[in-house]
Amino acid sequence: MTATAPALTARRAFRKKAVVPWLFLAPGLLLALVFKFWPMAKGIWLSFFDVRPFLGDRWIGLDNYTRVLTDHRFQEAIGHTLVLGIGQSVGAIVVGFALALLLEGQARSLKILRTAVFLPAVTATAVVGELWRLMYYPTSDGLINSGLHFFGLGTVQFLDNPNIALYSTMAMGIWIWAPYNMVIFLAGLAGVDRSLYEAAAMDGVSLGQRLRYVTLPAIRPALMIVLTLATIRGLRVFTEVYVLTGGGPAGSTEVWMTRAYTLGFTRNDIGGASAASVVLLCVTLLLTVVVNHLRTRGEAR
Amino acid sequence: MGDRRRRRRLAATAAAAGLMFGAAACGSGSDAAGSSDPNTLEVWTRSNPDDAATYDRVFAAFTKKTGIRIDYQPVITFDQQLQSRASTKDLPDVMINDTALMGSYQSQGLLKPIDPHSLAGGDQITAKSWSSTVGVDGKHYGIPYSRQAQTLMIRKDWLKKLGLKAPTTWQEMLSVAKAFATEDPDGDGKADTYGIVAPASAQNGYAAMWGSSFLWQGGAQIIKPDGKGKYSPAMDSAAAVNTVTWMKDNLFCGAKGIVQPGAITAVTGTATNFQDGNAGMYLTGPYNITTYDTTPGRKTYEVVPAPAGPAGGDVLADGENVYLGARTGKDRQELALAAFLVSPEGQRIAMTSVDGHQPVVRIPVNSTLDAAEVRHDPRWSVVQKAYETASEQFPNAPDFAPIKQDTADALNSIFTYCGGDVRSQLKELNDTLAGDLKDQDLLK
Repeated sequence: MTATAPALTARRAFRKKAVVPWLFLAPGLLLALVFKFWPMAKGIWLSFFDVRPFLGDRWIGLDNYTRVLTDHRFQEAIGHTLVLGIGQSVGAIVVGFALALLLEGQARSLKILRTAVFLPAVTATAVVGELWRLMYYPTSDGLINSGLHFFGLGTVQFLDNPNIALYSTMAMGIWIWAPYNMVIFLAGLAGVDRSLYEAAAMDGVSLGQRLRYVTLPAIRPALMIVLTLATIRGLRVFTEVYVLTGGGPAGSTEVWMTRAYTLGFTRNDIGGASAASVVLLCVTLLLTVVVNHLRTRGEAR
Repeated sequence: MGDRRRRRRLAATAAAAGLMFGAAACGSGSDAAGSSDPNTLEVWTRSNPDDAATYDRVFAAFTKKTGIRIDYQPVITFDQQLQSRASTKDLPDVMINDTALMGSYQSQGLLKPIDPHSLAGGDQITAKSWSSTVGVDGKHYGIPYSRQAQTLMIRKDWLKKLGLKAPTTWQEMLSVAKAFATEDPDGDGKADTYGIVAPASAQNGYAAMWGSSFLWQGGAQIIKPDGKGKYSPAMDSAAAVNTVTWMKDNLFCGAKGIVQPGAITAVTGTATNFQDGNAGMYLTGPYNITTYDTTPGRKTYEVVPAPAGPAGGDVLADGENVYLGARTGKDRQELALAAFLVSPEGQRIAMTSVDGHQPVVRIPVNSTLDAAEVRHDPRWSVVQKAYETASEQFPNAPDFAPIKQDTADALNSIFTYCGGDVRSQLKELNDTLAGDLKDQDLLK
């Protein structure tokens, strides 16, 4: 809104001025309306219905929500989603930060290395999933197991052991998202005032102190962005699980979204799937608001 | 200020409306031809481009014969697309899709009932095939089009090397699997071969589809019809407990290498061990014959009937039906197409491969045809015989998708946790299945 534009201009000129920005915005707004807000509104609407496209939907109020929230498989999925979401986010932030520190700089070799490290973030998740399935192959033919074999360790059932499968998925998630976080951290690191480092060096601080008192406060905004994005991503995690384990074995990697997907597309319960998605939307919204609130409070301090 | 803002809002609305109108003008036109012209049928099949090439030949022959044009749409994400068409109340005229979807479609009101006697050549379809298209209200909601039954693909070069015979019972299958896993049938000196390929993931219900043959062979049923249109869950029966226990103890929790590594997270797409040449047996559908003739190679394997369990050798049979969309008003043309599709001529075209494209009819539903003869391949007679004499289909009248998914979830869980108690887990499954049936008002 450019409401502060000089109000003294002639009316005619003003009218033109009012239309032009909207014209420029229109394509984007229209796309968002058609492909984002309308389907979203429709999804919320459908969550109150027994969806029968041809016979006509039947209003059932909050039944879908009751069903989803009392379903024990959804309840189990909440636990998995939290473990996977938090583990994957924290892991990817720590690894991403470490990578950023290692790969910060202007040297040509670093640029090449950075590009190489960033590759997982731009590769299709389906491809990555297939790759990791091969790496996790549960015999000594698998890449990781052949490594373990080399050190005299037994083979590990990375995806077929229900106690490990969730963590195997987490490792892949960290591998995918760490480089993405790295790029944001790199941008943050580039903005750190070099003289602060020099001053710290003259004061004779240790590496740990330098990270703690100089680097981290300086990249706080970047950290907050990464944290917000990671939280949202962590909660609606789907593709990583779907391509790697499909929620198995024995539902041990089933997360909220894979459950919603099964409900909607294998069981044809679009109403229930919509309700599950709306619940997730609300939780995500709430978390984003909380993270943002903490951020503004932190900045004010 | 308020006046100014209102004007601005108006301008924005006008701009948006203008753009939207433009977009709408571009969007229409695609489905205009199909629905208005009575002499054009819109036909959907769930096909990839390879299958679609074969369907193209079938429909070209039909148009040539009758003058009725076909607006053919091969759709891969069939059900999602169909749901969106259903919400506009404008369905395709004719659809060809899995037999298992009939109950689901019928319960959504998407299908037109069919009188088998009104179909020219309907008497050439066997009673067994027709029986699979009866809905919960006793009317037929589909016309059988293609059928298939599972058979055992087995490496005959491995059998020969180890001096074994193709198994005919579960026990024999188990000892052959053990030999394949431990006696180095591929002769590379490494323990890298496995007995049986098992796509036992719960994803898309695979564990239930692959496991159903074993259930029938053990005398178990997932749900049991009462003959009056109602069903009761039957997974807590002694036969079911024994069968599932046998599978768990011998295939998944027994000696290593009986099934391929990673079986409990494998779907058919990732269970490529037979093709990769490191597993020796695979109970699967005949559509794989084309693939396996290339690798591991036609000479290396044979197609035999499934080994029998304590209650016989029944295997899972399924296939595709022709469905007629509800309220389309083109009954005569639709029935003409259906009659052509099941006629000897129509089936023959769909069973032959031209330019290496995949045929779309596996076992013909037309009883005057013989699969092995049409395809010049004696192995197909094994499949046809399995379908005709030793096969069971999932009940198609109820919406089977939730039942299949819940069964797959339970089986996958049982096979994963070797320490679990099968009886109590199946009891739990039975309660879940009762809930699924109750949701559909089909619980006895």
